[in-house]
Amino acid sequence: MYQAIVFLPLVGAILAGLIALAGARARFPSGLPESHDLGAGHHPAHATPHGDGGHHDGDHAAEPAAAGSRAAELITTSCLFVAMILSWIGFVSVGFGQDVYLTVLNWFTVGDLKVDWALRVDTLTAVMLVVVTSISAFVHLYSIGYMAEEPYRPRFFCYLSLFTFAMLVLVTSDNLVQLFFGWEGVGLMSYLLIGYWYRKPEANAAAIKAFIVNRVGDFGFALGIFAVFMMTGAVDFGTIFAQAPALVGKTIHFLAWDVDALTLICILLFIGAMGKSAQFFLHTWLPDAMEGPTPVSALIHAATMVTAGVFMVARLSPLFELAPTAQTVVVFFGATTAFFAATVGLVQNDIKRIVAYSTCSQLGYMFVAMGVGAYSIGIFHLFTHAFFKALLFLGSGSVIMAMHHQQDIQKMGGLKNKIPFTYAMMVIGTLALTGFPLTAGYFSKDAIIEAAFASKNPMAAYAFIMTVAAAALTSFYSWRLIFVTFHGRPHDRHHYDRAHESPPVILLPLAFLAAGAILAGYPFRELFVGHGVEAFFRESFKFAASNRILEELHHVPYAVAMLPTFMMALGFLVSWYFYIRNPALPVELARQHDGLYKFLLNKWYIDELYEIVFVRPTLWLGRLLWKQGDGRFIDGLGPDGVSARVLDVTRRAMRLQTGYLYHYAFAMLIGVAALITWFLVRTGVG
Amino acid sequence: MSETFAVRELVPVLPEIVLVLGAMTLLMVGAFRGERAVASINWMAILLLIAAGAIIVLLPAERMESFGGSFVLESYARFLKLLALIGSATAMLMSLDYLEREQQNRFEYPILILLSTAGMLMLISAGDLIALYLGLELMSLSLYVVAAINRDSVRSTEAGLKYFVLGALSSGMLLYGASLIYGFTGSVNFAAIAKASANGGIGLVFGLVFLFAGFCFKVSAVPFHMWTPDVYEGAPTPITAFFAAAPKVAGIAMFMRVAIDAFPNIVPQWQQIVIFVAIASMLLGAFAAIGQRNIKRLMAYSSIGHMGFALVGLAAGTMQGVQGVLVYMAIYVAMTLGTFACILSMRRDGKMVEEISDLAGLARTNPAMAFFLAMLLFSLAGIPPLAGFFAKFYVFLAAIQAGLFTLAVIGVLASVVGAYYYLMIIKIMYFDEAARPFEPMPYQLKAVLAVSGLFNVLFFVYPRPLVEAASAAAKSLF
Amino acid sequence: MSELLLDYLPLVIFIAVAMAIGAALLVVPFLVAYKQPDPEKLSAYECGFNAFDDARMKFDVRFYLVAILFIIFDLEVSFLFPWAVAFGELGLFGFWSMMVFLGVLTVGFIYEWRKGALEWD
Repeated sequence: MYQAIVFLPLVGAILAGLIALAGARARFPSGLPESHDLGAGHHPAHATPHGDGGHHDGDHAAEPAAAGSRAAELITTSCLFVAMILSWIGFVSVGFGQDVYLTVLNWFTVGDLKVDWALRVDTLTAVMLVVVTSISAFVHLYSIGYMAEEPYRPRFFCYLSLFTFAMLVLVTSDNLVQLFFGWEGVGLMSYLLIGYWYRKPEANAAAIKAFIVNRVGDFGFALGIFAVFMMTGAVDFGTIFAQAPALVGKTIHFLAWDVDALTLICILLFIGAMGKSAQFFLHTWLPDAMEGPTPVSALIHAATMVTAGVFMVARLSPLFELAPTAQTVVVFFGATTAFFAATVGLVQNDIKRIVAYSTCSQLGYMFVAMGVGAYSIGIFHLFTHAFFKALLFLGSGSVIMAMHHQQDIQKMGGLKNKIPFTYAMMVIGTLALTGFPLTAGYFSKDAIIEAAFASKNPMAAYAFIMTVAAAALTSFYSWRLIFVTFHGRPHDRHHYDRAHESPPVILLPLAFLAAGAILAGYPFRELFVGHGVEAFFRESFKFAASNRILEELHHVPYAVAMLPTFMMALGFLVSWYFYIRNPALPVELARQHDGLYKFLLNKWYIDELYEIVFVRPTLWLGRLLWKQGDGRFIDGLGPDGVSARVLDVTRRAMRLQTGYLYHYAFAMLIGVAALITWFLVRTGVG
Repeated sequence: MSETFAVRELVPVLPEIVLVLGAMTLLMVGAFRGERAVASINWMAILLLIAAGAIIVLLPAERMESFGGSFVLESYARFLKLLALIGSATAMLMSLDYLEREQQNRFEYPILILLSTAGMLMLISAGDLIALYLGLELMSLSLYVVAAINRDSVRSTEAGLKYFVLGALSSGMLLYGASLIYGFTGSVNFAAIAKASANGGIGLVFGLVFLFAGFCFKVSAVPFHMWTPDVYEGAPTPITAFFAAAPKVAGIAMFMRVAIDAFPNIVPQWQQIVIFVAIASMLLGAFAAIGQRNIKRLMAYSSIGHMGFALVGLAAGTMQGVQGVLVYMAIYVAMTLGTFACILSMRRDGKMVEEISDLAGLARTNPAMAFFLAMLLFSLAGIPPLAGFFAKFYVFLAAIQAGLFTLAVIGVLASVVGAYYYLMIIKIMYFDEAARPFEPMPYQLKAVLAVSGLFNVLFFVYPRPLVEAASAAAKSLF
Repeated sequence: MSELLLDYLPLVIFIAVAMAIGAALLVVPFLVAYKQPDPEKLSAYECGFNAFDDARMKFDVRFYLVAILFIIFDLEVSFLFPWAVAFGELGLFGFWSMMVFLGVLTVGFIYEWRKGALEWD
């Protein structure tokens, strides 16, 4: 069953890929009308009329759909739905039963290094399976509607399913190498999907940026794996965790430094997590990744891939529990990201970017939970967040579709009458995100803030302040999104008039996710936060003896427990005042605090900082090595230089051939004379 | 003398006798019947060359000596004689169409080829310095004349004259060296020289230098190569093909025989000469060829370079080295004749064209010829798995096993540089704008090109016969 | 070393005497010759060369041809003399060797005759 969960998406991806390849073969060599007819016959959808204005997805939308698009959609989507159902069954059977451990096959054995393909399904994995397959299934379904105008859908669905497969490999992995395989797999698919509209330069740039920034993190991750192998001689979790207590106090000698082994390992691994989960400093790729199709943003850049870092820390909790310094680092970065991303989200105007920064911020929350040792709470937030954030993204997608690919919220407004269903869904998502009581987000997010308060981590106070502040900010920007988009007067009549509600295939996933956004909280509260944690997660997490955070967070003062809700209300009210009551005020504020506004609008100038610190010196160095190092030095001394010298020699050798007989005779005599002289000198005679 | 002579002693010399008597008979036929008999004389000459080859094959396989050791026939001589005969016969075959079209049909031409070939055979079998000189001069004098056979062409006569004057100079040096050697060892017989040269001496080395200078001239090794480009360019093309193949075989044959048979006791001395000459030839052959526009001049430098590579094997001074040289020469002859078959079919509007640029786009106008020529050029450049690679492989292997690492490295570098101009021709044939097509290839050239091309391409499939024959030949020399 | 040089002494003397005689023959005419040119003396030689003229002059290539053919048969004679002198000791082998040589020469002679090399026009 668990094999089926993992490999069904792969099967779907392979089939879709074959269809895509066959379609490409049929399309490009001929370009003849018959192949188009073949495709068009199955898909009346592609003939859907769409506006020309503001349509910036490229010229390809005018092309007919690839042959077999509908087949690819159906195959991949149904595979995913089967996997989803199996996952829920697995969730129940694992959560309330036994862990499952399956070895698929031996991957490789090199000396001491033995790596298996194995499925480790404990409760943590089961939760992730549910999240991944559910969201993925709905996103597949949604994509059928959202991508209907796209000509190359088999490729899209192939990527989407392949991503799902990689993500499932990641969460079911039993060792660090398999985890890394999944990790890189999702990275690759993220790259391909962000760059899906490869004719758009921005999409390509964003894809490359995502890939490169992730390389930074992955480098840390890989070093972490090496360090683990160096210290324990194994990469499978069972052995590592068994040996972890013995590593306390050991050091790694590196460049004349003696570093605490566990701290170093955990920090290196966390650097990997920072890259994948877009934490502060390595977050820059995530907003740009919004260049990809919206379902991709929902699946990869909100619900699943970006949470891989959180999952990894949770999975490696036995290590992190033993490295308090590393935990402090995790808390610091989580809290900082939560606050930073929330501030940036305040002033963004691109609907998807607002949600992206929100994602970034929420990931920060999860890391705070991880850092303070409240692993189950972090995973709980991951679980609930997946639903409401996917909902928000898909809702945004619906809005974008309604507005004909307009993403700027300043050009929207008053849409609630035009697309009431989407509006309702977006409001539900926003309520969950802001932590409105009894929605999913309320339980998980408040638990994190309480945990931050209860924790004894040195950074706990900082984390508490930051998360509370971020809660208010979250509420503000979320409601700003809703108010600016759906309320007030339309800012763009042209688009407004043409706005229309999305087809059911898009609205259905929204409804399901909305249900999840509301219901994913309370029923699971006891299992993730309350007293059921121990029985539910069993061996998934390891809590150090001193880690009683789950106990303590139930005893935080009532004021603290109410604080996030208060903040949420505050944010809502301010937002309401700014954008409904007195819409001139934010403009005035921005004008008065121009510096701050620019600072936030430009995302704390992080990109610019990187541009100056990394990109330009790198480009400069690259250009230096290219022009001077390779061009002048290596080519100059190497190929070019040698060939130029060869030609010089040739010219000289040709000049010897004068055509005069006496020169030739002279050469012969000189030759003989030289040889004679040589022998005379050699033998010392004369 | 007269007492020891028996007719039986003439048996090993039979091929030479056949060639010479045949040549004289044909001369008489030509003298009395004139130009009408040219076609039949041409074919008779080819038949005589084949007959001589057949006799060599049919003669008993053991080592035979005649005239008191002046004439030696063993596997070594047999191998090289067959090679020289193949070279001559093929060159003769390739000439037929050319001579017809250019109205150069003189009956002296086949006769001179026959006499020259007889000289080569004599040279290859020479067992003392006098026999060597006789063979050398018989070969060379005929070559001088054929180089200038197109008397109405300034370039041809200039080529003949240059070749003659420089050839005379080299003969003078060779004779001077021979007389020095005779003076210091008291003998002209190789075996006797070997015995007498045990204690070396600077005088003997002087003789050696002059003698080798003469040899180097014949194989056109640097710095005695200067005649080669001018003569190759000036002589009629089939004669250039002839020059490039058979005389080189004979020259290398005598070079090796003298070095191995007569001077086994002063190997280090002659090794130095050969190494110097080999390096100089390889480098000059590689570098100077790059600048050439005329394909015959290019082939001249190519052959200079190839002689340098062949001498690498001799420089090793071992049996393996000699074997390498023999294999090299066999493959070289095949490659060169095939390439000249292509050059001979570069004919447009009834005229020969000789510029490399005339080959432009040959792949489109005549793909088969372009393919074979490309294979031959790849082979000349030494690209595996073509025959040319194995040729170089064997000599370099021998050099390395003899400890001559520097020589082998320089050789490989030179072959890298040399690859440039071969590949350049291929590039011109395959990627440049197509020039006007050539006239159709005569069937003789087609046959030669096909045989040599296939030999080059397929040598690696079954190299054993050639390699084993070369091995036996090398063994018989020591 | 001195012995080696002594071996060459006759050679040195020979060269010295030859140079002396040559020089004498060159110089003496200027001193003692009786100079009385007449038309007969100043007229061209049989070969067509002027008696006093630039040495680098053009002349008919047929002179060369005749000279070369002459040399061939001249050399033949120079082979025949020693052969004839030693004929008694050479026996049959010597006889046939010379016959082969003469035969080859005859073939060449026939060729040049047929080619018309012996005709002046």
